[in-house]
Amino acid sequence: MTAAVWNWSEIIPALPEVFLAVSAMVLLVLGACQKNGGLKLIGTLSVAALAVAMVLTLKADWTPVTVFSGQFLSDGFSSYMKILVLGGLIATIMLSMRYLVQENMGRFEYPVLILLAGVGMMIMLSANSFLSLYVGLELQSLSLYVLAAIRRDDAKSSEAGLKYFVLGALASGMLLFGISLVYGYVGAVGFDAVADTLAAATAEGTVAPGAIIGMVFILVAIAFKVSAVPFHMWTPDVYEGAPTSVTALFAIVPKVAAIGLLMRLLFDPFVSLMPDWQQVVWFLSAASMAWGGFAGIVQGNIKRLFAYSSIGNIGFALVGIVAGTADGVAASILYMTIYMIMTAGTFGIIMMMRRNGVAVERITDLAGLSKTHPACAYAMTALMFSMSGIPPLAGFFGKLVVFQALIASGFYVLAVLGLVSSVVAAYYYLRIIKVMFFDEAEAPLDRESAPMRTLVLTLSIIFIAGFVLVPETLMHTSQEAAAVLLPAND
Amino acid sequence: MQEFFNSLFWTDYGLPGLIMVGQIGAMIGVVVFAVAYLTYAERKVLGAMQRRQGPMTVGPFGLLQPIADGVKLLSKETIIPSQANKPIFILAPIMLFTLALVAWAVIPVNYKWVIADINVGVLYLFAISSMGVYGIIMAGWASNSKYAFLGAMRSASQMVSYEVSMGLVIVTVLLCVGSLNLTDVVMADRPFWVQIMLLPMLVVFLVSILAETNRAPFDLPEGESELSGGFMVEYSAMTYALFFLGEYANMILMSAMTTILFLGGWLPPFGIEALAFVPGIIWFVLKICAVLFFFIWTRATFPRYRYDQLMRLGWKVFLPFSLLWVVVVAGVLLTFDALP
Amino acid sequence: MLETIAFYLFATVLTLSALRVITARNPVHSVLFLILAFFNAAGLFVLLGAEFVAMILVIVYVGAVAVLFLFVVMMLDINFVEMRKGATRYMPLGVLLGGVLLTELTMLFGAWKFSPQIAQNAASPTPAIDSVENTHAIGAILYTDYVFIFQVSGLVLLVAMIGAIVLTHRVRAGVRHQKVSDQVNRKISDSMDIQSIKPGSGA
Repeated sequence: MTAAVWNWSEIIPALPEVFLAVSAMVLLVLGACQKNGGLKLIGTLSVAALAVAMVLTLKADWTPVTVFSGQFLSDGFSSYMKILVLGGLIATIMLSMRYLVQENMGRFEYPVLILLAGVGMMIMLSANSFLSLYVGLELQSLSLYVLAAIRRDDAKSSEAGLKYFVLGALASGMLLFGISLVYGYVGAVGFDAVADTLAAATAEGTVAPGAIIGMVFILVAIAFKVSAVPFHMWTPDVYEGAPTSVTALFAIVPKVAAIGLLMRLLFDPFVSLMPDWQQVVWFLSAASMAWGGFAGIVQGNIKRLFAYSSIGNIGFALVGIVAGTADGVAASILYMTIYMIMTAGTFGIIMMMRRNGVAVERITDLAGLSKTHPACAYAMTALMFSMSGIPPLAGFFGKLVVFQALIASGFYVLAVLGLVSSVVAAYYYLRIIKVMFFDEAEAPLDRESAPMRTLVLTLSIIFIAGFVLVPETLMHTSQEAAAVLLPAND
Repeated sequence: MQEFFNSLFWTDYGLPGLIMVGQIGAMIGVVVFAVAYLTYAERKVLGAMQRRQGPMTVGPFGLLQPIADGVKLLSKETIIPSQANKPIFILAPIMLFTLALVAWAVIPVNYKWVIADINVGVLYLFAISSMGVYGIIMAGWASNSKYAFLGAMRSASQMVSYEVSMGLVIVTVLLCVGSLNLTDVVMADRPFWVQIMLLPMLVVFLVSILAETNRAPFDLPEGESELSGGFMVEYSAMTYALFFLGEYANMILMSAMTTILFLGGWLPPFGIEALAFVPGIIWFVLKICAVLFFFIWTRATFPRYRYDQLMRLGWKVFLPFSLLWVVVVAGVLLTFDALP
Repeated sequence: MLETIAFYLFATVLTLSALRVITARNPVHSVLFLILAFFNAAGLFVLLGAEFVAMILVIVYVGAVAVLFLFVVMMLDINFVEMRKGATRYMPLGVLLGGVLLTELTMLFGAWKFSPQIAQNAASPTPAIDSVENTHAIGAILYTDYVFIFQVSGLVLLVAMIGAIVLTHRVRAGVRHQKVSDQVNRKISDSMDIQSIKPGSGA
């Protein structure tokens, strides 16, 4: 029998994941040994662990390496997306620590689950076979299901967890079904083998419908995860029902990972089926942008509103993928980066919304914020302007680059649709500003200092305001990352 | 007729089939006989330990007592409660007894004396013993009585809990043996220090099989003082007899498992070559008897555990310990390059 | 021939019991039929020569998972007939969607073809089945080629465990725990005082 000798150097490209997984386990044991909760200690250490993982990822070689018998791939694209994910996770934990204590759900498992979800997302982004994709996705989803239901005495939170779980399980089922169809055609689960086989078959024009249907099933499953219309039904309920700190996590991080995974899938194993998937993604993108814009108008709950906002924004991110070029991918990555940072800031404000020690989440609760909390009101204004894409804030550049890429590829109809939805969505972002500045407050919101949250908020504001000064840095990096994914088009 | 005996059907299917049926019949016969006399032995041993005589009246030394008991149970009326779920109620004892018998298919009683010498014998045994819990749950549920249901719940959770550490014990043995085939397990060359390392696992295993077979001091499922008979409270006559037979057959099976995994099966004890002239099957039976004596001895000695103590022992003592021991044994074997 | 008979026996019982799982009115019967289905599936695996998978199927699904199912349906006493009443309202839609999907899959099956490269892609990394037992073969690739997946699956199970504890474990106030070490360390002198009492004097 061929007993392969284990080579420890194989672990080096996966060092951030290994480190994060090990620290999650260590923190779990540490937390269990703490007498009362130990949330503060574990939370701080989790942030530290994430930061170390981020440094490790930054230090990682950006040249593509595959390890673990081709199951795991580390390259520039995965590293870039991982840094985004890790940054998002750090921001979420920093945002939510105070909230967890206030809402009396300070359990040490909370940050540990976030860490494990992070490991899952990183594995998704580094997947180089359908097997590692699936286990990564499940690791991520399972942690998030638990987080959504973590406030188990609250009916809404439990409902959110259950809904997310049931629909997520359905999506996983579809994913597996799609994978098995593709496997049935190709006979292998590695991305390289799938890409080669499909490329050869496309060249001869003999791709079996089975493989294409399999790919569509996989796309549907990922669309569930990024909540693209028409697979978005769970999003508003889960966002509303889950505790706000968890909603912030959902809005900020998993979508980045899922979009990254989608890009990897579409431009690596399925790149030769581009004409086929472009139609699907075109529809997903158009429907998400439109529905995210129009359905958001009637929302009264701010968490629900941002659920629709995230649906719309995913639509814009998908636009870059539809373009099918390296520029498009770079634009999409940049869009997700900017969106993530804006959302982190926005949730900083939403988590601040408490009246008499009770969290409130109606948009009208923000009334008169400009008088009672002027700093917050101006910060929110900047964020909302940026979200609706008003120059010279960062959000504008995000939209600009994706539409540039789209028009360069000649998708004019989608571009027009996107612009219209963007205008519609601007209505509800601006409505928030109107409520803050022109409506009278019934009772002022609580005043409290949460230094961590303020730090995240400040960084976010600095980013969206300062992006215009040095746009090249991030744009170049995103283009480099995209070039790794699409070397041929570069 | 001559033609038939020469036909391919006879040589390929008929004769092997008959031989197989004969083997199975012999095995079942021996096991049922052993069960009958195990009950006798239990009463005698308990009697001796409690300074009384045990069964004395039926036959010489009461030797015919088990047969008398059997005849009594068979001739009684089987009562099925009117609210019971009939098919499941009847299926439960049959299943329990059948499971206790089918496991014997893979038990080697001597070198190559086995009905089915399969590659995954250990897993087969483990699978069969993990299914035993269904007979009990089904009985408890189908009786439609709260005592029976409570007893079944207790028993099921107890069996599931102790199965975990039993599985880990088996894993440790497999690490030292390198095969899932029961004959290979017995024949494996185990150095003395490996045997010593397995000793704590033997202790864990012996206690776990007490819990797995619902025997004292873990006989809470039957706990007559509070559950008046547990999951079998509604059973009578033949169905009750099947439970009874099943329980004792399981005891013998578990003893055989212990013998094969730890005590060297049919080999002479302690590897003493001088004793090799005694046929292997005798050693095998003697070792089983020793373990069965342990079962009875425990019953005479220890008071019944409380339920939370039982669970604590399973989950908080045995599970962590056996998990740790798996790692220790694997580490030692790896370090000294002694993995088979 | 025997194998063919065994195959049809297992396959028929498997299909029928799977059917009974969804048609049985009593949920406990459903679970019991599910167990029967698992058991027959294990039988099919044995026929395929995959005895390890068969045994694991019985140990894990029959021995552990289905026991928990049975616990849940027995303890919760859910009236499934009652629950199904609401479901009939959505029946037409469900049937329609199911029908569409079935038609699609049938068409897919009809037009199915394998990639010409499949033989080369599916070249198995395991040794030939007759040269090594399949238990050894599984072990040999599970802990080498697929060690990454194996470990991550372990993490998934860890998360499941954390989740189960987070969502169900609650610390109740006023529970008196037994401290075993205290009990063991108790001496006779702690609780008993032996006095020698003279006859006729009283304690």
